[in-house]
Formats: sequence, structure tokens, C-alpha cells
Amino acid sequence: MNDTTAHAAGGGMGDLAPGQQDKNPKDFAAGLRSYLVGLALAVGLTIASFWAAQTHLIYAPGVSAALIALAIAQMGIHLVFFLHITTGPDNTNNALALAFGILIVFLVVVGSLWIMSNMNHMSVAMGESMHMQP
Amino acid sequence: MSTPDIVLRLPSSPRVLGLPAAETLEADEVTGHGEGGPAPKRIVVGYGFWIFLLSDIVMFSAFFAAYAVLSAATAGGPSAAQLFDIRNVQIETACLLLSSFCCGIATLAVEQRNLRLTQGALLATGLLGFAFLALEVHEFIGLVAQDAGPSRSAFLSSFFALVGCHGAHITAGLLWLGTMMAQLYAKGFRADICRRYFCFSLFWHALDIIWVAIFTVVYLMGVRT
Amino acid sequence: MLGKLTWQAIPFDQPIPLYSAAVVGMGLLAVLVWVAVKGYVPYLWREWMTSVDHKRIGVMYCVLAALMLLRGFIDALMMRSQQALAFHAPGYLTPEHYNQIFSAHGTIMIFFVAMPFMIGLINYVMPLQLGVRDVAFPTLNSVGFWLTAAGALLINLSLVVGEFSRAGWLPYPPLSELQYSPGVGIDYYLWALQISGVGTLISGINLVTTILKTRAPGMSYGRMPIFCWTALAANLLIVAAFPILTATLAMLLLDRYLDFHFFTNAAGGNPMMFVNLIWAWGHPEVYILILPAFGVFSEVVSTFSGKPLFGYRSMVVATMCICVLSFMVWLHHFFTMGAGADVNGFFGIMSMIIAVPTGVKIFNWLFTMYRGKVRFAPPMLWAVGFMVTFVIGGMTGVLLAVPPADFVLHNSLFLVAHFHNVVIGGVLFGAFAGYEFWFPKAFGFKLNERLGRAAFWCWFVGFYVSFMPLYAVGLLGMTRRLQHYDQPEWHPWLLAAEVGVLIILTGIALQATQLIVSIRSRRRLSEPMGDAWDGRTLEWATPSPPPLFNFAVMPNVKGEEPYWGMKRKAIEAMQLSPEPDYKPIEVPRNSPTGFVTAFLASILGFALIWHIWWLVVLALIGAYATFVVFAWRDVVEYVIPREDVARIDRANRSARAFALKELHA
Repeated sequence: MNDTTAHAAGGGMGDLAPGQQDKNPKDFAAGLRSYLVGLALAVGLTIASFWAAQTHLIYAPGVSAALIALAIAQMGIHLVFFLHITTGPDNTNNALALAFGILIVFLVVVGSLWIMSNMNHMSVAMGESMHMQP
Repeated sequence: MSTPDIVLRLPSSPRVLGLPAAETLEADEVTGHGEGGPAPKRIVVGYGFWIFLLSDIVMFSAFFAAYAVLSAATAGGPSAAQLFDIRNVQIETACLLLSSFCCGIATLAVEQRNLRLTQGALLATGLLGFAFLALEVHEFIGLVAQDAGPSRSAFLSSFFALVGCHGAHITAGLLWLGTMMAQLYAKGFRADICRRYFCFSLFWHALDIIWVAIFTVVYLMGVRT
Repeated sequence: MLGKLTWQAIPFDQPIPLYSAAVVGMGLLAVLVWVAVKGYVPYLWREWMTSVDHKRIGVMYCVLAALMLLRGFIDALMMRSQQALAFHAPGYLTPEHYNQIFSAHGTIMIFFVAMPFMIGLINYVMPLQLGVRDVAFPTLNSVGFWLTAAGALLINLSLVVGEFSRAGWLPYPPLSELQYSPGVGIDYYLWALQISGVGTLISGINLVTTILKTRAPGMSYGRMPIFCWTALAANLLIVAAFPILTATLAMLLLDRYLDFHFFTNAAGGNPMMFVNLIWAWGHPEVYILILPAFGVFSEVVSTFSGKPLFGYRSMVVATMCICVLSFMVWLHHFFTMGAGADVNGFFGIMSMIIAVPTGVKIFNWLFTMYRGKVRFAPPMLWAVGFMVTFVIGGMTGVLLAVPPADFVLHNSLFLVAHFHNVVIGGVLFGAFAGYEFWFPKAFGFKLNERLGRAAFWCWFVGFYVSFMPLYAVGLLGMTRRLQHYDQPEWHPWLLAAEVGVLIILTGIALQATQLIVSIRSRRRLSEPMGDAWDGRTLEWATPSPPPLFNFAVMPNVKGEEPYWGMKRKAIEAMQLSPEPDYKPIEVPRNSPTGFVTAFLASILGFALIWHIWWLVVLALIGAYATFVVFAWRDVVEYVIPREDVARIDRANRSARAFALKELHA
């Protein structure tokens, strides 16, 4: 399989490879702008994360949620500005694959946490009730 | 897409269950993605590597799950709050983020076929990545020296495995980067070498994404508990 | 110098492994000597070992699976015999040996029989069905196969040098930790699976990319054969699930090698987490095994009913639903581990829900057969046998999905009967159906039908005689993996099971005979046109066996079942479509990368198992060197000239024109 066997016509042939910004690379300046904006946003969010972790200005139990939100935002910046993953029709396969991966990660991490904490809780409860036996 | 992917056809006889033999349909009556024939190599290679990256992220998620479950199991030993040096993590994060940015510059340079800029940007990428790695190794050695190595407790085992796995990926990436710089020097911007470079850049950016998760969940949330 | 390796590693004091190793070793040596003397080595190297052609690799996967089926089945025979004899008696196998046998049986059957068989069928058929020349990454395909073979090699090596794991096919800690299993057995298991796991992951990535990004022009998602849809779903599951296995086994390796505490009893480790993570992989794994089998049956049932598959759209939806749902049920493997009722209830209900899409598929197959012209060739026998057997197995699965029932039946022989019911009735019958169905395509001649039918009936009857008693004895309270027992009410059932396994043995013997007889009478059984069964999908448009480049010109796909449409048009017009415009074809060069990588991986695995650290370093350096050599290649393809393409295609066209004339005569 090589480029000469590919057909140029037909719907769906406008597919982009993951990480590919455009089918025809624009001039250097335009590409650079994307990376610079991405870097600036990422730096800002990173600083915000480190600040949020040690400040007392945020309601304490809400800090974890804030950190997670900031982390997701940083990942989003990376995906959009560095990896050029968008929701356009020429990026559908890439976005779908990413969505599938995120679903699996969610199921594994959240599922494992739910199961294991449930079991730990049950083991402790069992231990306590055992102590109550005469 | 205006027409649906699959065209429903009525059976020719009401007594026959199921569809009759397929009538021929013109290609433009049914639209969908990927029906212009096999995609160009750039897309095939890029997509294949993308799928590999997703599998790698699932592997990291298993280590994350183990870390999350075991993060409290300090077995009477030192905890995250007692061990982690946030200043060090800040410097590591800066190194890796800048390294990712330099990789982006290198991508632009490759697209422009500018060899000097490419090699320069890649060198910067590699040096910053190496700085990250050096800081991390230094941190690990320090932990082991104060009897907070992976054998001390389940929490430390899961910490070393998760962060160490990321570090191992960075190491492999640096090895790949070096080999790639050598290839660019020896063979120039050949199509297959460019495709491999784009795969490397996907890999390097993904490692930075995983680092975001690590410094948030392991270090920042760890020192708060 | 040699780490933990000493002469003690060879089982001089255990007659059974010693003699079997000697027999196998001598047989292997005899085969190698024969090959060398007959001068087949250059041919084998050039045409098979360095081949990157998906068809060759597919055949090699299936050959590996068949060989390992023999080893796994011998393990099964030994286990059944032990249980038949060991009533108030020690039997003929020591507990240490028996434990290794059931561990090896499970490991081999899942990882080195079922997986390679399915991946081999997908490898062979899917690119042909999609109308393309090869998979997305041919050399990587070769690497994936050879790494799987390296894993199989290590497992078999454990018979001769050292020992195998005694902790079952999934090595639960703390038994599998260093404290309770200090020997090399668990290490053999772990490194063999890590190495072959990389191979499987490579396959998954390769096949997903092929299906999603390389199809013939005009083949939209809605025109893909169902076998390709199930292959897609299975390989998406491989990509999503196998990393979890890699990570979990790596954690166990870290515990054993570097004194980590993931799953140990001491220092805060959590053995239950191993069970959780390994089954998060383990459940999708069984769907990875069964989905390609479902695809095989879809192709077989529609071909031998002479009708398009009923409910194509619902089949696709059901397949993708199974793909996603398979990641939401894994706790049903450990209901009894102590989670609360809410967790158990959630996963129990999800396990019942996942039976629904499978039910949809069964009904679609039945409706495909209804009012069709059903031909009961051997592949169709396997399909109908599957439908009956799998439904029973599936129903016992839904029964086990009820947590209170599972509390009684967990780890009993009821469970063992259930999973053998679905794996043999589903995966293995599917493998055999695919084997019979696509053998003529791969080799140009059919298999002897009478022996095929006899083999099917032996397997079918033998399966029921062997496993239905196990349901009974499980309900009577027998636990799995018992080396001896003294309940009199279990004994007659286990004797019946022994008879069953001997009937299956007859079936296997018949299959081996069938292969030999068919090869010897291949001229009489040959089918020169390439369409042995009046097929409906594109692989039947190629000659049998297909040329290296599959299609002289990539087909332009119009509508579902493109080959059926082409045939109808040709029969109505009483002539073939006009000769295409032939062009030279670029094909990838052969490469020893796969074989060399696997060779180094085997050495790496062996060195890690026996703690021969200098050899580990050497093997890693060798691996990096291989990577650089491969990356440095300048010439990666060669060109098949136009004249050769034309000659090969014209030969097939004349065979088909002849058949067309015969049809109208």
C-alpha cells in the first residue's frame, strides 16, 4: 500500500492523521501561533494548579475537584493546540478513538476505585462486627 | 452526511424473511467515511500510532488505579506529604512542558523541510527531556536513601511503578529521538522518516499529557492528604 | 554465571515430564533433520519465516494454535484421567505435578490456542474481504506473530528446564508471590505472557488500523462483511484490554523481582487488587475470543443458507454493544470476594444485559437459515452445533450472573463446565468452522467431507458426554482443581467425563487423519476457480490460493455482498466483466525482523526467568540493534511487473470463464 494507490476523490478522503494540523501545511508563522498560544495557556493553567494546591483561598474539600478540572483543561490544551485534535469531520476517526480510550480509562479507574473501596469498607465492617461476638 | 450509512431495502416478496441478493448501488448513493479506497500512508501510520498511544494510556490507567487504591497504604512508613518536594516537581513540569513546545517547533520545521531548525529544536527537546529525567532519577535516589524506596510500603511501590513507568517511557523516547536525529542527518527528509517523526511527536506530547495527570494526582493531591 | 540455572532444573526425578520432554524433543529433532536434509530450509526461510504476507502469517498462527491444542488437550486428558482414578486413591499425578498441569492447560488453551486461532483467521481473511492487498503494517504483523510463538516456546521450555506455575491460569497472589512460590514456574508464566502480550497488542493495533483506514474503494462501513465488523470489535477490545494485563503482570513481576508490595500480605499490599485488575482484562478477553467466532458463523450461515445475513444492521449494533458492555461486567468473576450488595447487584445486572445482544445474533442466524436453501457441509454442521451448545452455555452463564447463585457455584465444576461450554461450543467450534470453510481458499483444495463430518460428531457428542456431567457434579458440591476426592456420588460423573474426553480424542484423531488424507488426495479435491462454496464476499473473487498481491486490480465495491453482486451480473450477462487495466504492483519486501526480534525475546525471557543478568543486557542491546537495522532500511518494497500480474489474473479469469460456460451448458 503506498500513496499512489490512494484515491483522492470521494467523501472521507479528507481524513487527517492525528497530529496533522492541515492537509497543506500553512506558513511557519501560523503554525507557530498555535503552539505559542497553547504554551501560554498551558503555562497559565499549570501555575494555577500549583497555586490551587497550596492556597487557602479555595474551600478545602473543593480543591481536589479544582485540581482535576485544571488537569483536564491542561490535557485539552495539549490535545487541541499541540496534537490538533478537533471535532471536524476530517478528524472523526481520531476523536472517536480518543473517546473510546477515555471511556476505558474511566471504567478502569472509577470501577476499580468503587470496587476496592467497597471491599475495604466491607472488610473493616466485618472485622468490627466480629469483635462484637461473645 | 445527508444520506444514512446503510440503505434499507424492502424484501422483494412478503413471504421471504431477510433481504434479497444485493442490488448494485452506485458509490455516491451511499456515503460514509473511508470509502475512497485505502488512506494515504501518512494517515495510516499516524492513526496506527494513535491507537498504540491509546493502549499505552490504558496501561497507565491501570497503574493509576493501583496508585489510587494503595495511596493510603503507607504501612507505618513515610507518606506523600512527608516525602514529596513540590519545588522539584515544578521544575520538572516546566522542563517537560517546554520540551513539548520545542517538539512542536520541530514539527513545524519538518513540515518546512528546514534541517537546521529541525535538528536544533529536536536537540532542545532532548536536552529538556534529559533534564526532566535527571531530576526524577535524583528524586528517586534521594527517596531510596532515606529508606523510602519501593520496598518500604505498598504506597511507595505504586508511586515508584507509576512515576517510574512514565520515566521509562521518557527514556525510551529520548533513545528514539537520538536515533531519529541520526537518521535525519544521514538520510534527510525522506517520506518514511518524516512519518516516523510525526509518530515521535505524538508520543512526546502524549507523555506530557500523562505527566499532567501524574503531577496533579500523585504530587499535588498527595501532599494535601 | 548462569544465575539460578543448574542441572537440577531438568526433571530427572519425575518420569512423566522427563519422558514426554524426551519424546517431544526427539520428534522435533527428527522434523528439523528431515527439513534440513530435504533442503527445505531456504524455502521455509524465504517463503514463511521472513514473510510479511498476511496470508502466510495467518496460516502460521493457525498452525501454532493447532500444535498447542494438542499439548493443551493432552493436559486435559491427564487431568480427566487423574480425577477419574483419584477416588479414595492418590491417582497417578502428584499434587505438585497436577497443579502445574491445570495451570498449563488453561494458559495454553486461552493464550496459545484460542487467541492465535482467531487472530490467524482474521489475518488471513479480513484483508481479502476488504478488497485490499495486505494489513496496514505488514512487517509489524510478522513481529506480532513471532513474539506470540516466542511466548509459546517459553511455556513449552518450562516442561524441560525448570517447572511451570502451580497457581492456575491466573496466578492469584499471595500464592503467586515469592514467599509462597519461590520457584521459576510463575516467572515462566509471567514472561511468556508479557512477550506474547506485546505480540497480541501489535496485532490489535495493526488490524484496527487496517479495518478503519484501508478498505477497497466504495466499501463504506455499511458494506463491510460482518466478519470484519466482529474483527474490528475484537481488536478494539485487544487494544483496550491487553494493556491492563501487561500492567498487572508487571506489578506482580515487580513484587517478585524487586521486592515491591503491590499484592503482598506485608507492607500494605492488597492481593484483592490483583483479582480486580486481572479480571478487568479477563472479561474483555473472553469477548475478544468469541466475537471473531461470531463473525465466522455469520459468514458460514449466510453462505450455506444461500441468503444474505438477516438483520445486518442489528448485527453491527449488537457487536459494538457487546464491545462496550464487555468492559462493564468484570466483577462477576469475583462476586464472592466481599464487595457489598450494591456493587454485586450492579455487575450482576450488567452481566445479564450483555446476554441480550448475543441473543439478537442467535435470532439473526436462525432467521437467515429460515426459508434458505440450507446445505449441511461441515462448516455448517459446526455452526448449527455451535448454536445449540453456545445457547446452553450462555444460559448457565446468566444463571451464574445472579450473585446469590454464584455464591454457591463459584469455583465449582459448574463454573468449569460453563466456561468450557461457551469456549469450546463458541470459540473452538468457530475455529473449526472457519478452518473447514477457508481451507480451500488458502490451499486450493477442499478437506475430505466424510472425515470432517465424523470429526464434528465426535467433538459434538464427546463435548456433551464430557461436560454435562461436570454441571451435575458441580451442583453436587465439587470444587475445581481437586487432585483427589472421596465423595462417592461424584465418582460416576467423573468416569462419564473421562469417556467423553476419549470421544473428543477420537475427534481430534479424525481431524488429523482428515488433513493427511486430504493432502494426499488434493488433486481430486481441488477446486481451481477459487469459489468452493458459492461464496458471497470478496475473498471468493480471488484464485485459491490467492496470489501475493491478492487482487490484480482493487475492486470497486458497489452495495453489500460485492462478490455476490459481481457473480449475479456475470451469470446474467453470460460472460465475465471486461479484463481490467493491469498495472505493476508494489509489495513489501520480506524481512527477518520478526524472527530475529522473537529470537532475542526468547533469550531475554529465559535470562530473566533464571536471573542471568548479563544475558538480559545482551538481549536488550540486541533488540535495540534490531530496531536500528530495521529503521535504517532503504529499500522496503519491490515491484511485481505488469506481465506477471496479468498472467496470474488471466489464468484465474479463464478458469472462471470455463465454469461460467459449464453453468450454462
